[in-house]
Amino acid sequence: MKPVKSVTIIDDPQAHEDQHVHAVYDQIASHFSSTRYKPWPIIAKFLSDLPTGWIGLDSGTGNGKYLPLPADRPGSVLTIGLDRSRNLLQIAQHAGSEPGCLITREVVWGDVLGSGWRSGVFDYAISIATIHHLASHDRRKLAVQRLLQAVSPVHGRMMIYVWAIEQDELSKRSIPASGTDGSNHYPITGEDVFVPWVMSQSQHTAKGKFKNDVPSSATSKEVASAVPTLVAETPVYNRYYHMFAKGELKQLTVQAAKEFGLMVGSPESANAKGCRGVEVMQEGWERSNYYVELRRWVS
Amino acid sequence: MVRLITHNLLACHVKGCTTNNFPLVFQDVQVELQVAEFNPDFIRNMLSRLEWTALVNAAKQVGDTSLPPEQPDMMDDELLQKLHHVLMEIHVTDGAMVCQNCNHIYPISNGIPNMLLAEHEIG
Repeated sequence: MKPVKSVTIIDDPQAHEDQHVHAVYDQIASHFSSTRYKPWPIIAKFLSDLPTGWIGLDSGTGNGKYLPLPADRPGSVLTIGLDRSRNLLQIAQHAGSEPGCLITREVVWGDVLGSGWRSGVFDYAISIATIHHLASHDRRKLAVQRLLQAVSPVHGRMMIYVWAIEQDELSKRSIPASGTDGSNHYPITGEDVFVPWVMSQSQHTAKGKFKNDVPSSATSKEVASAVPTLVAETPVYNRYYHMFAKGELKQLTVQAAKEFGLMVGSPESANAKGCRGVEVMQEGWERSNYYVELRRWVS
Repeated sequence: MVRLITHNLLACHVKGCTTNNFPLVFQDVQVELQVAEFNPDFIRNMLSRLEWTALVNAAKQVGDTSLPPEQPDMMDDELLQKLHHVLMEIHVTDGAMVCQNCNHIYPISNGIPNMLLAEHEIG
Protein backbone atom coordinates (compact mmCIF):
# COMPACT_ATOMS: atom_id res chain seq x y z
CA MET A 1 0.00 0.00 0.00
CA LYS A 2 1.26 3.40 -0.96
CA PRO A 3 0.22 5.82 1.76
CA VAL A 4 -1.01 9.25 0.82
CA LYS A 5 0.15 12.24 2.84
CA SER A 6 -1.98 14.95 4.37
CA VAL A 7 -1.20 18.42 3.14
CA THR A 8 -2.16 21.93 4.11
CA ILE A 9 -2.49 24.40 1.27
CA ILE A 10 -0.73 27.57 2.32
CA ASP A 11 0.04 29.09 -1.05
CA ASP A 12 -2.40 30.49 -3.62
CA PRO A 13 -4.72 27.69 -4.88
CA GLN A 14 -3.86 28.46 -8.51
CA ALA A 15 -0.12 28.34 -7.80
CA HIS A 16 -0.64 25.17 -5.79
CA GLU A 17 -2.41 23.49 -8.72
CA ASP A 18 0.19 24.71 -11.24
CA GLN A 19 2.90 23.06 -9.20
CA HIS A 20 1.26 19.97 -7.77
CA VAL A 21 -1.19 19.08 -10.54
CA HIS A 22 -0.41 20.61 -13.95
CA ALA A 23 3.36 20.27 -13.86
CA VAL A 24 3.10 16.74 -12.50
CA TYR A 25 0.73 15.50 -15.20
CA ASP A 26 2.89 16.99 -17.94
CA GLN A 27 5.84 15.02 -16.50
CA ILE A 28 4.07 11.70 -15.97
CA ALA A 29 1.68 11.88 -18.96
CA SER A 30 2.92 8.87 -20.86
CA HIS A 31 3.32 6.56 -17.86
CA PHE A 32 0.02 7.74 -16.37
CA SER A 33 -1.81 7.12 -19.62
CA SER A 34 -0.49 3.56 -19.91
CA THR A 35 -2.27 2.78 -16.63
CA ARG A 36 -5.59 4.45 -17.52
CA TYR A 37 -7.37 2.61 -20.27
CA LYS A 38 -10.45 1.00 -18.77
CA PRO A 39 -13.65 3.06 -18.80
CA TRP A 40 -15.70 2.92 -15.62
CA PRO A 41 -19.02 1.12 -16.21
CA ILE A 42 -21.37 3.83 -14.92
CA ILE A 43 -19.76 6.42 -17.20
CA ALA A 44 -19.78 4.02 -20.15
CA LYS A 45 -23.51 3.49 -19.53
CA PHE A 46 -24.11 7.26 -19.30
CA LEU A 47 -22.43 7.76 -22.69
CA SER A 48 -24.15 4.74 -24.18
CA ASP A 49 -27.60 6.14 -23.29
CA LEU A 50 -27.06 9.41 -25.22
CA PRO A 51 -29.18 10.04 -28.34
CA THR A 52 -27.40 10.07 -31.70
CA GLY A 53 -26.18 13.50 -32.76
CA TRP A 54 -25.42 14.81 -29.27
CA ILE A 55 -22.27 16.81 -28.64
CA GLY A 56 -20.47 16.79 -25.30
CA LEU A 57 -17.56 18.12 -23.30
CA ASP A 58 -15.12 15.96 -21.35
CA SER A 59 -13.75 18.50 -18.89
CA GLY A 60 -10.40 17.17 -17.69
CA THR A 61 -10.17 14.48 -20.34
CA GLY A 62 -6.68 13.28 -19.38
CA ASN A 63 -5.62 10.65 -21.89
CA GLY A 64 -9.04 10.82 -23.53
CA LYS A 65 -10.20 7.34 -22.64
CA TYR A 66 -13.87 8.39 -22.79
CA LEU A 67 -13.62 10.14 -26.16
CA PRO A 68 -14.11 6.97 -28.29
CA LEU A 69 -17.26 5.89 -26.40
CA PRO A 70 -19.93 4.61 -26.69
CA ALA A 71 -18.20 1.42 -27.82
CA ASP A 72 -21.37 -0.10 -29.30
CA ARG A 73 -22.20 2.99 -31.41
CA PRO A 74 -18.91 4.72 -32.24
CA GLY A 75 -19.40 8.08 -33.94
CA SER A 76 -23.03 8.44 -32.80
CA VAL A 77 -22.05 11.27 -30.46
CA LEU A 78 -19.06 13.60 -30.40
CA THR A 79 -17.18 14.22 -27.17
CA ILE A 80 -14.63 17.05 -27.15
CA GLY A 81 -11.80 16.62 -24.66
CA LEU A 82 -10.49 19.55 -22.62
CA ASP A 83 -7.40 19.36 -20.43
CA ARG A 84 -4.78 21.53 -18.84
CA SER A 85 -1.92 19.13 -19.62
CA ARG A 86 -0.72 19.45 -23.18
CA ASN A 87 1.26 16.23 -22.94
CA LEU A 88 -1.87 14.31 -21.96
CA LEU A 89 -3.79 15.98 -24.80
CA GLN A 90 -1.28 14.73 -27.32
CA ILE A 91 -2.20 11.23 -26.18
CA ALA A 92 -5.94 12.03 -26.03
CA GLN A 93 -5.79 13.32 -29.60
CA HIS A 94 -5.50 9.73 -30.81
CA ALA A 95 -7.38 7.91 -28.05
CA GLY A 96 -8.78 4.56 -29.13
CA SER A 97 -6.64 4.32 -32.28
CA GLU A 98 -5.47 0.92 -33.41
CA PRO A 99 -2.00 0.45 -34.88
CA GLY A 100 -2.18 1.37 -38.55
CA CYS A 101 -5.49 3.15 -38.15
CA LEU A 102 -5.05 6.55 -36.60
CA ILE A 103 -8.28 8.15 -35.40
CA THR A 104 -8.21 11.83 -34.55
CA ARG A 105 -10.19 13.14 -31.58
CA GLU A 106 -11.22 16.70 -30.88
CA VAL A 107 -9.15 18.09 -28.02
CA VAL A 108 -8.76 21.58 -26.60
CA TRP A 109 -6.01 22.91 -24.33
CA GLY A 110 -7.76 24.81 -21.59
CA ASP A 111 -8.68 25.15 -17.95
CA VAL A 112 -11.79 23.58 -16.44
CA LEU A 113 -12.46 26.96 -14.80
CA GLY A 114 -12.47 28.67 -18.20
CA SER A 115 -15.57 29.09 -20.31
CA GLY A 116 -14.38 29.23 -23.90
CA TRP A 117 -17.67 27.90 -25.29
CA ARG A 118 -20.98 29.32 -26.37
CA SER A 119 -23.20 28.99 -23.29
CA GLY A 120 -25.46 25.95 -23.26
CA VAL A 121 -24.11 24.62 -26.52
CA PHE A 122 -23.33 21.11 -25.28
CA ASP A 123 -25.86 18.36 -24.80
CA TYR A 124 -23.79 16.70 -22.10
CA ALA A 125 -20.66 17.19 -20.07
CA ILE A 126 -18.57 14.76 -18.07
CA SER A 127 -15.90 15.57 -15.54
CA ILE A 128 -14.13 12.45 -14.42
CA ALA A 129 -11.42 12.49 -11.75
CA THR A 130 -10.73 16.17 -12.31
CA ILE A 131 -12.51 18.46 -9.86
CA HIS A 132 -10.63 16.81 -6.97
CA HIS A 133 -7.45 18.45 -8.29
CA LEU A 134 -8.77 21.95 -7.56
CA ALA A 135 -7.33 23.38 -4.37
CA SER A 136 -10.23 25.27 -2.81
CA HIS A 137 -13.95 24.78 -2.24
CA ASP A 138 -14.75 27.88 -4.30
CA ARG A 139 -12.73 26.65 -7.25
CA ARG A 140 -14.39 23.23 -7.11
CA LYS A 141 -17.78 24.95 -7.00
CA LEU A 142 -16.88 27.12 -9.99
CA ALA A 143 -15.82 24.00 -11.92
CA VAL A 144 -19.32 22.54 -11.37
CA GLN A 145 -20.88 25.84 -12.46
CA ARG A 146 -18.81 25.80 -15.65
CA LEU A 147 -20.36 22.41 -16.45
CA LEU A 148 -23.87 23.70 -15.70
CA GLN A 149 -23.15 26.68 -17.95
CA ALA A 150 -21.74 24.57 -20.80
CA VAL A 151 -24.79 22.33 -21.24
CA SER A 152 -28.23 22.96 -22.66
CA PRO A 153 -30.58 24.58 -20.10
CA VAL A 154 -33.37 22.39 -21.50
CA HIS A 155 -31.87 18.91 -21.54
CA GLY A 156 -28.17 19.09 -20.56
CA ARG A 157 -26.84 16.00 -18.81
CA MET A 158 -23.80 15.92 -16.56
CA MET A 159 -21.73 13.24 -14.86
CA ILE A 160 -19.12 14.09 -12.25
CA TYR A 161 -16.64 11.69 -10.60
CA VAL A 162 -14.27 12.56 -7.79
CA TRP A 163 -12.03 10.61 -5.47
CA ALA A 164 -13.49 9.49 -2.20
CA ILE A 165 -11.82 9.34 1.18
CA GLU A 166 -13.54 5.99 1.52
CA GLN A 167 -11.30 3.72 -0.56
CA ASP A 168 -12.22 0.16 -1.42
CA GLU A 169 -10.19 -2.87 -0.40
CA LEU A 170 -8.67 -3.24 -3.85
CA SER A 171 -7.29 0.28 -3.78
CA LYS A 172 -3.55 0.60 -3.86
CA ARG A 173 -3.69 3.45 -1.42
CA SER A 174 -4.30 3.90 2.26
CA ILE A 175 -5.70 7.15 3.52
CA PRO A 176 -4.68 8.66 6.82
CA ALA A 177 -7.59 9.33 9.14
CA SER A 178 -7.84 12.82 10.49
CA GLY A 179 -7.32 13.68 14.09
CA THR A 180 -4.56 12.81 16.46
CA ASP A 181 -6.66 10.70 18.76
CA GLY A 182 -6.45 7.76 16.39
CA SER A 183 -10.17 7.82 15.75
CA ASN A 184 -11.18 6.72 12.30
CA HIS A 185 -13.65 9.34 11.17
CA TYR A 186 -13.29 11.77 8.31
CA PRO A 187 -14.35 15.40 8.12
CA ILE A 188 -17.32 16.32 5.92
CA THR A 189 -15.02 18.86 4.29
CA GLY A 190 -12.86 16.17 2.77
CA GLU A 191 -9.12 15.80 3.04
CA ASP A 192 -6.28 17.51 1.15
CA VAL A 193 -3.53 15.06 0.31
CA PHE A 194 -0.53 14.35 -1.87
CA VAL A 195 -0.69 11.06 -3.72
CA PRO A 196 2.68 9.78 -4.87
CA TRP A 197 3.17 8.74 -8.48
CA VAL A 198 6.15 6.40 -8.80
CA MET A 199 7.64 6.34 -12.26
CA SER A 200 8.70 2.88 -13.33
CA GLN A 201 12.32 2.62 -14.48
CA SER A 202 11.41 2.05 -18.11
CA GLN A 203 9.31 5.21 -18.19
CA HIS A 204 11.94 7.27 -16.49
CA THR A 205 14.41 8.73 -18.95
CA ALA A 206 14.98 12.24 -17.73
CA LYS A 207 16.84 11.49 -14.53
CA GLY A 208 18.94 14.25 -13.10
CA LYS A 209 17.51 16.85 -15.43
CA PHE A 210 14.98 18.51 -13.19
CA LYS A 211 15.92 22.13 -13.11
CA ASN A 212 13.70 23.61 -10.43
CA ASP A 213 14.67 23.76 -6.83
CA VAL A 214 12.42 22.59 -4.07
CA PRO A 215 10.00 25.49 -3.66
CA SER A 216 10.08 27.73 -0.64
CA SER A 217 6.29 27.46 -0.45
CA ALA A 218 6.41 23.77 0.36
CA THR A 219 3.89 22.83 2.98
CA SER A 220 4.62 22.41 6.60
CA LYS A 221 3.79 18.74 6.62
CA GLU A 222 5.52 17.59 3.51
CA VAL A 223 8.05 18.88 1.03
CA ALA A 224 6.60 17.80 -2.25
CA SER A 225 6.24 19.24 -5.69
CA ALA A 226 6.55 18.58 -9.37
CA VAL A 227 10.21 18.18 -8.64
CA PRO A 228 10.49 14.48 -7.99
CA THR A 229 12.05 13.04 -4.90
CA LEU A 230 14.72 10.68 -6.14
CA VAL A 231 14.40 7.33 -4.43
CA ALA A 232 17.02 4.96 -5.73
CA GLU A 233 16.89 6.70 -9.12
CA THR A 234 13.12 6.26 -9.36
CA PRO A 235 11.39 9.61 -9.33
CA VAL A 236 8.27 10.03 -7.22
CA TYR A 237 5.86 12.80 -8.14
CA ASN A 238 3.36 14.02 -5.60
CA ARG A 239 -0.02 14.92 -7.04
CA TYR A 240 -2.42 17.09 -5.09
CA TYR A 241 -5.93 15.73 -4.47
CA HIS A 242 -8.87 16.91 -2.49
CA MET A 243 -10.43 13.64 -1.39
CA PHE A 244 -14.17 14.01 -1.00
CA ALA A 245 -16.03 13.05 2.14
CA LYS A 246 -19.36 11.26 2.09
CA GLY A 247 -22.09 13.67 1.00
CA GLU A 248 -19.63 16.38 0.01
CA LEU A 249 -20.01 16.01 -3.77
CA LYS A 250 -23.78 16.31 -3.66
CA GLN A 251 -23.54 19.24 -1.28
CA LEU A 252 -21.08 20.92 -3.65
CA THR A 253 -23.23 20.41 -6.74
CA VAL A 254 -26.42 21.57 -5.01
CA GLN A 255 -24.70 24.70 -3.74
CA ALA A 256 -23.14 25.35 -7.17
CA ALA A 257 -26.52 24.97 -8.88
CA LYS A 258 -28.41 27.20 -6.41
CA GLU A 259 -25.82 29.96 -6.62
CA PHE A 260 -26.00 29.61 -10.40
CA GLY A 261 -29.71 30.47 -10.13
CA LEU A 262 -31.14 27.00 -10.63
CA MET A 263 -33.78 25.16 -8.65
CA VAL A 264 -32.66 21.76 -7.41
CA GLY A 265 -35.19 18.96 -7.76
CA SER A 266 -37.44 17.37 -10.34
CA PRO A 267 -39.13 19.51 -13.04
CA GLU A 268 -42.45 18.69 -11.32
CA SER A 269 -41.29 20.54 -8.22
CA ALA A 270 -41.38 23.86 -10.09
CA ASN A 271 -44.43 25.94 -9.18
CA ALA A 272 -44.44 28.06 -12.33
CA LYS A 273 -43.74 27.75 -16.03
CA GLY A 274 -40.33 28.77 -17.31
CA CYS A 275 -38.38 27.95 -14.13
CA ARG A 276 -34.86 26.66 -14.62
CA GLY A 277 -33.57 23.80 -12.59
CA VAL A 278 -31.37 20.77 -12.28
CA GLU A 279 -32.25 17.31 -11.05
CA VAL A 280 -29.93 14.83 -9.36
CA MET A 281 -30.55 11.66 -11.38
CA GLN A 282 -28.28 9.39 -9.40
CA GLU A 283 -25.42 9.58 -6.94
CA GLY A 284 -23.27 7.05 -5.25
CA TRP A 285 -19.91 5.56 -4.50
CA GLU A 286 -18.12 3.29 -6.94
CA ARG A 287 -14.61 1.92 -6.69
CA SER A 288 -13.22 4.56 -4.36
CA ASN A 289 -15.03 7.41 -6.12
CA TYR A 290 -18.14 9.46 -5.52
CA TYR A 291 -20.26 10.27 -8.53
CA VAL A 292 -23.30 12.33 -9.30
CA GLU A 293 -25.42 12.55 -12.44
CA LEU A 294 -27.37 15.74 -13.10
CA ARG A 295 -29.90 16.92 -15.66
CA ARG A 296 -30.92 20.47 -16.42
CA TRP A 297 -34.57 21.30 -17.13
CA VAL A 298 -36.92 24.15 -17.89
CA SER A 299 -40.48 23.80 -16.59
CA MET B 1 -7.52 18.85 -34.02
CA VAL B 2 -9.70 21.80 -34.68
CA ARG B 3 -12.48 20.69 -36.94
CA LEU B 4 -15.18 23.14 -37.91
CA ILE B 5 -17.64 21.36 -35.63
CA THR B 6 -15.45 22.34 -32.66
CA HIS B 7 -14.79 25.82 -34.00
CA ASN B 8 -18.55 26.39 -34.13
CA LEU B 9 -18.78 25.82 -30.35
CA LEU B 10 -15.79 27.90 -29.23
CA ALA B 11 -16.17 31.49 -28.06
CA CYS B 12 -13.76 34.05 -26.68
CA HIS B 13 -13.73 34.06 -22.87
CA VAL B 14 -11.40 36.92 -22.06
CA LYS B 15 -12.63 38.95 -19.08
CA GLY B 16 -15.32 41.40 -20.20
CA CYS B 17 -15.49 40.06 -23.76
CA THR B 18 -19.14 39.03 -23.85
CA THR B 19 -20.54 40.43 -27.11
CA ASN B 20 -19.47 39.61 -30.64
CA ASN B 21 -17.10 37.04 -29.10
CA PHE B 22 -18.29 34.34 -31.51
CA PRO B 23 -17.29 33.11 -34.03
CA LEU B 24 -13.52 33.28 -33.77
CA VAL B 25 -11.87 34.03 -37.10
CA PHE B 26 -9.28 31.63 -38.51
CA GLN B 27 -5.93 33.16 -39.37
CA ASP B 28 -2.91 31.73 -41.24
CA VAL B 29 -4.28 28.23 -41.08
CA GLN B 30 -2.77 25.00 -42.31
CA VAL B 31 -5.35 22.39 -43.18
CA GLU B 32 -5.21 18.61 -43.42
CA LEU B 33 -7.93 16.39 -44.88
CA GLN B 34 -8.68 13.07 -43.17
CA VAL B 35 -11.37 10.71 -44.36
CA ALA B 36 -13.96 9.98 -41.67
CA GLU B 37 -16.81 7.50 -41.65
CA PHE B 38 -20.06 9.12 -42.81
CA ASN B 39 -22.84 8.96 -40.23
CA PRO B 40 -25.87 10.77 -41.73
CA ASP B 41 -27.97 10.40 -38.56
CA PHE B 42 -25.26 12.06 -36.50
CA ILE B 43 -24.99 15.00 -38.91
CA ARG B 44 -28.77 15.43 -39.22
CA ASN B 45 -29.43 15.35 -35.47
CA MET B 46 -26.43 17.45 -34.53
CA LEU B 47 -27.12 20.28 -36.96
CA SER B 48 -29.48 22.29 -34.74
CA ARG B 49 -26.55 22.99 -32.37
CA LEU B 50 -24.60 24.83 -35.04
CA GLU B 51 -24.69 28.45 -36.17
CA TRP B 52 -25.04 28.12 -39.93
CA THR B 53 -23.59 31.46 -41.03
CA ALA B 54 -20.58 31.01 -38.74
CA LEU B 55 -20.04 27.58 -40.26
CA VAL B 56 -20.26 28.81 -43.86
CA ASN B 57 -17.80 31.62 -43.15
CA ALA B 58 -15.39 29.36 -41.27
CA ALA B 59 -15.48 26.91 -44.18
CA LYS B 60 -14.57 29.75 -46.57
CA GLN B 61 -11.68 30.72 -44.29
CA VAL B 62 -10.25 27.22 -44.65
CA GLY B 63 -10.86 27.14 -48.39
CA ASP B 64 -14.18 25.32 -48.73
CA THR B 65 -17.09 27.04 -50.48
CA SER B 66 -19.42 24.04 -50.90
CA LEU B 67 -22.12 25.15 -48.44
CA PRO B 68 -25.06 27.40 -49.41
CA PRO B 69 -25.17 30.78 -47.59
CA GLU B 70 -28.63 30.04 -46.14
CA GLN B 71 -29.46 26.83 -44.31
CA PRO B 72 -31.75 24.81 -46.61
CA ASP B 73 -34.99 23.51 -45.14
CA MET B 74 -34.52 20.10 -46.71
CA MET B 75 -31.51 18.03 -45.77
CA ASP B 76 -30.91 15.76 -48.73
CA ASP B 77 -28.13 13.21 -48.85
CA GLU B 78 -25.91 15.39 -51.00
CA LEU B 79 -26.02 18.22 -48.48
CA LEU B 80 -25.42 15.84 -45.57
CA GLN B 81 -22.34 14.55 -47.40
CA LYS B 82 -21.07 18.09 -47.88
CA LEU B 83 -21.68 18.88 -44.22
CA HIS B 84 -19.92 15.70 -43.20
CA HIS B 85 -16.89 16.73 -45.21
CA VAL B 86 -16.84 20.30 -43.89
CA LEU B 87 -17.48 19.37 -40.26
CA MET B 88 -15.65 16.08 -39.85
CA GLU B 89 -12.89 15.82 -42.47
CA ILE B 90 -11.22 19.23 -42.56
CA HIS B 91 -8.67 19.51 -39.76
CA VAL B 92 -6.96 22.77 -38.95
CA THR B 93 -3.54 21.71 -37.73
CA ASP B 94 -1.79 25.05 -37.27
CA GLY B 95 -2.60 28.74 -37.26
CA ALA B 96 -4.78 30.78 -34.95
CA MET B 97 -8.31 31.82 -34.10
CA VAL B 98 -8.85 35.51 -33.42
CA CYS B 99 -11.68 37.19 -31.51
CA GLN B 100 -13.37 39.87 -33.62
CA ASN B 101 -14.30 41.81 -30.51
CA CYS B 102 -11.14 41.96 -28.38
CA ASN B 103 -8.57 40.66 -30.90
CA HIS B 104 -7.37 37.97 -28.52
CA ILE B 105 -5.40 35.34 -30.45
CA TYR B 106 -5.93 31.66 -29.67
CA PRO B 107 -3.04 29.77 -31.27
CA ILE B 108 -3.41 26.33 -32.83
CA SER B 109 -0.36 24.09 -33.03
CA ASN B 110 -0.11 20.42 -33.90
CA GLY B 111 -3.89 20.34 -34.09
CA ILE B 112 -4.40 21.54 -30.52
CA PRO B 113 -6.05 24.93 -29.95
CA ASN B 114 -4.82 26.86 -26.93
CA MET B 115 -7.80 28.33 -25.06
CA LEU B 116 -5.80 29.09 -21.90
CA LEU B 117 -5.83 32.70 -20.76
CA ALA B 118 -3.26 34.73 -18.86
CA GLU B 119 -4.19 35.42 -15.25
CA HIS B 120 -5.28 39.03 -15.88
CA GLU B 121 -7.55 37.92 -18.75
CA ILE B 122 -9.58 35.41 -16.72
CA GLY B 123 -13.14 36.54 -16.04
